[in-house]
Amino acid sequence: MKTLTVDEKIKADSLGRSMVKYGLAVGAVVLILSIVLGGTEHDHFQRFQYGALTAWMFVFTLCLGSLFIVMIHHLVRAKWDTVLLRVAENVASAFPLVAALGLIVFAPMFLGNHHLYFWDSWHQLPKDLQHDEAFKILQKKGTWLSSSAFILRYALYMAIYSGMSLYFSRQSRKEDETGDKKIAERLRVVAGPMVLLYALTTVMAGFDLTMSLSPEWYSSIYSVNLFGGAMCGTWAFLTLLTRAIQRTGKLTNVVTREHYHDTGKWVFSWNFFWAYTAFSPLLLIWYSNIPEEVVWYRYRWAGTDWQALTYVVIFAVWIFPYVALLSRWTKRILPLLMAVCFEQLLAHYIDLYWNVMPNVNWGHREDGLTTGPLTGPFTQHAWHFAASDLLSLIAFFALFLAAVGTRMKGNLVPIKNRTLNASMAFENY
Amino acid sequence: MDTETETTPNVEGELYGVLAEFDSPGSLVKAARQVRDAGYTEFDCYSPFPVHGIDEAMGIKRTILPVIVFTLGSLGTFGGAYLEWWMNAYNWPWNVSGKPLWSIPANVPIAYETTILASVLTTFFAMWMLNKLPQVWHPFFKLDRFTKATDDGFFLGIEAGDKKFDQRVTAELLEKAGATAVESCHYEPDPDRRKMPRWIWAFIIATTVMAMIPFALIAKARASKSGLPHYHIFPDMDFQPKAKSDSAFDEFQDGRANRGEIPGTVARGYLKEDDPAFWWGLGDNGDGTKSWITGLPDRVVPTPALLACGQERFHIYCGPCHGDDGQGDGTVPTHLQQIGKAWAVANLTDPSKVTLPNGQIFNTISNGRNTMRGYASQIPVEDRWAIVLYVRALQRTQHPGPGDKP
Repeated sequence: MKTLTVDEKIKADSLGRSMVKYGLAVGAVVLILSIVLGGTEHDHFQRFQYGALTAWMFVFTLCLGSLFIVMIHHLVRAKWDTVLLRVAENVASAFPLVAALGLIVFAPMFLGNHHLYFWDSWHQLPKDLQHDEAFKILQKKGTWLSSSAFILRYALYMAIYSGMSLYFSRQSRKEDETGDKKIAERLRVVAGPMVLLYALTTVMAGFDLTMSLSPEWYSSIYSVNLFGGAMCGTWAFLTLLTRAIQRTGKLTNVVTREHYHDTGKWVFSWNFFWAYTAFSPLLLIWYSNIPEEVVWYRYRWAGTDWQALTYVVIFAVWIFPYVALLSRWTKRILPLLMAVCFEQLLAHYIDLYWNVMPNVNWGHREDGLTTGPLTGPFTQHAWHFAASDLLSLIAFFALFLAAVGTRMKGNLVPIKNRTLNASMAFENY
Repeated sequence: MDTETETTPNVEGELYGVLAEFDSPGSLVKAARQVRDAGYTEFDCYSPFPVHGIDEAMGIKRTILPVIVFTLGSLGTFGGAYLEWWMNAYNWPWNVSGKPLWSIPANVPIAYETTILASVLTTFFAMWMLNKLPQVWHPFFKLDRFTKATDDGFFLGIEAGDKKFDQRVTAELLEKAGATAVESCHYEPDPDRRKMPRWIWAFIIATTVMAMIPFALIAKARASKSGLPHYHIFPDMDFQPKAKSDSAFDEFQDGRANRGEIPGTVARGYLKEDDPAFWWGLGDNGDGTKSWITGLPDRVVPTPALLACGQERFHIYCGPCHGDDGQGDGTVPTHLQQIGKAWAVANLTDPSKVTLPNGQIFNTISNGRNTMRGYASQIPVEDRWAIVLYVRALQRTQHPGPGDKP
């Protein structure tokens, strides 16, 4: 059994500082550029907000997935991934900063810009139209889907996530110092209720953040699918991040091919979980063929610009990585695994884009009044390239890396954890 | 170390190999590596539980099980999909709620399940075959020491068939590798006793034959005729005391299943008898006979709204055959004519129809006539009267009376 030699290879040193420095510099510049380009769309920054929401959801889900990995690690007393635990904790505990980043997307709601969520906008329509049959569902959801209730829930979700992630992170670092064996046991006990709280919060957050973009449509499995995509993207991200840390000369004596083999397995299995939860609502909705249900898929499918993107989602998120990671040896050739993980991470963004962006063009009646997302003829929902989407992704990802960088200090592995030696000696038989 | 090398004194049979015992999984792995490095190939390890790293130590190649499972699992996917296509879209096309005969979403679940089924069965049986299971007997079973392999003993056995095998040299190698005991093992000298006991053969044959009996009986029953009554396995399920309407039933005192009317109640549906004109289009003649009413029931008040409702219902339910103007030229008979077939549909504005009483038109809508089926289950009574009203209006357009504007 291997034992850890505590040397500079497991110390973060300047790693976090350079992540903050470069991430902040790139993020700030590109974000400003993205806002400026968003202004050239002349749509009251609507396209910019949608692009920013997609990009923020991307980094938010990576944090979300890391938090789950940390909790499950303690809950099931995992041994193999102890060497990756601190990296996952560092990503998860960037949650308070990610929550603050989200305000770039959600704050304009309170500065008089009502172009992100249609439920925030339809109150401005003429009174007689508001009482139209078409808006009956919105009237029922009125209190829940209002900007004040939304921001309260946003604060609640983020407080829960931040609290949980900081708690796990701080306890784990305390164990580094004191070596107190009771800490691991206590974390295992609290992880159970926290996973339940996490599940409840995530289901509601998914409904609020992206499903309510088309507020008349609902699917109870929506957030489960979002979570599946988040976990798949997170394992891909953690694999790449750990490898990148190793490229700087850190962790080279700790993390081995065996651990990458297992993270590859996780990407593979969450990939199929995503496909399963994406297909199950599609099957039911396709089969029952009820107009108010199929509408969500109709605007992403036949006859629309978004159909090509739907094919891309099926192949990029599911089929390609699934086939690529099916075999044992592809997961053990690190350059190959990294390439697939990169593709999977990108595909996670495409999946979010596919969820968010078809809602961006709102339908209009003949008299010019707005009828909301997923209404009106397909021609009103044409896709067009917006550079601000891409720049938002770069900006938010850079700022996210900077946020993670603030946590990259001290030890990069939990040095006093009792399962660390077992994790270092881990082998796939 | 207290090592003992035994050579069984009364060696009679051919040498099978040597068996070495080790005191821990770790020393077993170490020994296996030494035996492998010494060039032996025909050897095996025996332990009460799977030992990590033993495959690598013994120099066993990675199993080809994943390849077999992938191949047959894929066959399960496409086989399942082919099964669905052949059954539902090709051999017996069956329209289920207007869905395409062949579509991907509806057929994914079955293909998914057949994939799992094929993969699971393949994994299970291929694992057995690759491990040469079931193996009911092994030469080492003769050695008392070997029973510990299911409890706390760790063994390594080298077969005499190995190219490098030499009883003395091999035993020395095992001792050096840390064996706590090394023992040689011989086949049973008596060739008869090496065979499986006859009673086991008899048991296998007998149970196999007995397992065939039900199938033989089924085959016989399918190929022959019998005048005997059914055999009832569960007679109390086949013959339950239950009351079926209009039949004898001994459980009640009067021996009848029917319970009759209870005073002061009205059976379900019997309130309709209070208004036969509305429900059936029938009027009382005063002498006990009934005939079709010519006017409208009291409850049906002709209004423009009712007429508009009748027009709408007519276009939905009657128009496809009778035509939207009732001339008997709807899309269904027209299409049949185009493809060389004929289906007579009544012209509702024909004088013979104009003279029909309202009640009879209502009855035709409710219960059908000739090839037309009844619409009572689809159209509510009020709407049927609205249609009667609209049919009358259509007839009026073809046979205007005095005072009707063209």
